Amino acid sequence: MSNELGSGLVEFESLVKDGAIELQKHIEVGDFGGAIKIIQELSEARHNSFYNEVGFLTRSLHDAIRDFQVDSMDLVSGEGEATTKITDASDRLNYVIETTSAAANKTMDMVDSSVPVASELQVRAKELRKDWGRLIQRDLTPQEFRNLYKRIDVFLAYADESATTLHSNLNTILLEQGYQDLTGQVIARVNDLIRDVEEKLVHLVAVAGRVDSISGIEHQEKESGHDDTRGHGPAINKQNNPEVLNSQDEVDDLLSSLGF
Amino acid sequence: MKILIVDDFSTMRRIIKNLLRDLGFTNTVEADDGTTALPILQAGSIDFLVTDWNMPGMTGIELLRAVRADDKLKTIPVLMVTAEAKRDQIIAAAQAGVNGYVVKPFTAVALKEKIEKIFERIDAAK
Repeated sequence: MSNELGSGLVEFESLVKDGAIELQKHIEVGDFGGAIKIIQELSEARHNSFYNEVGFLTRSLHDAIRDFQVDSMDLVSGEGEATTKITDASDRLNYVIETTSAAANKTMDMVDSSVPVASELQVRAKELRKDWGRLIQRDLTPQEFRNLYKRIDVFLAYADESATTLHSNLNTILLEQGYQDLTGQVIARVNDLIRDVEEKLVHLVAVAGRVDSISGIEHQEKESGHDDTRGHGPAINKQNNPEVLNSQDEVDDLLSSLGF
Repeated sequence: MKILIVDDFSTMRRIIKNLLRDLGFTNTVEADDGTTALPILQAGSIDFLVTDWNMPGMTGIELLRAVRADDKLKTIPVLMVTAEAKRDQIIAAAQAGVNGYVVKPFTAVALKEKIEKIFERIDAAK
């Protein structure tokens, strides 16, 4: 692709070189009419070559985005269940946010319904253990023994039932982790698009750079500092960034050095 | 003890709410950014503020500064629970008067420790 992309410009450069030689010849013999004609031809060639390049890049970019939309529709129909058409990267990423949020909530629902079961089991087991200890010490009256006998039966039924509930909750939590697969696939595709678009943008920038260098346009560099107040989100690759702290311990150390 | 939890993600608010409940703090209210949190704070009755940093609208650091600049609110203890871990940001939060700083992802133990430390200091200052 890069050959195809650069070819227009290479052609244009050789046109300029040839044109310059021609131009000089015309000027040397005093044929200014011919010289001006060559200048006009060169100017036209310059316009054409740049428009071709820009046109080519625009088409490439458009194709990449169109391909992406086709892919995303394949993905949705392939999964069968989803009814919404995810037609662009933003929608896909929203899907990731929704899916991860749903999975997190479902998991927390399961934890919320498991904690009281485990607590109740613990409370009942503790009570029984107290009386069981007295039984071992032969410290129970016959009435208390009969009572304990019944309570153990009730407890065993409850333990069985609780274990079933906990088991099913844990299984639900396990299945909910399937979001990682689904969202991973979506993110991988968005990633591919970004890489594709970046590749094409790099070519666009390269062409723009050549346009600038040939036409003599200069741009002022913009300073683009990021404001800490707005936040940066979670740090990626923080091991390589000395400005980012790696753990709660490092944060605590920094704060204590500030007198906290 | 009434605690206001400010985070733009409902799952994170829920996690913090559950951890606080385990620590015995059952009276909590929620807001999804500084803009919605401030009126709740100004309405009174909030004793403790737990806030994220990175939120749409008004961020956590702006909320912290607004709280410290308000005569009625400036003594409320503020715990920041955030993924923001740049040295300069933590220094900025300290300068703005944060009482504790927990970086995400965090553990229940870390959250408990910071909250206890904040209350110890408040009790000691009394």
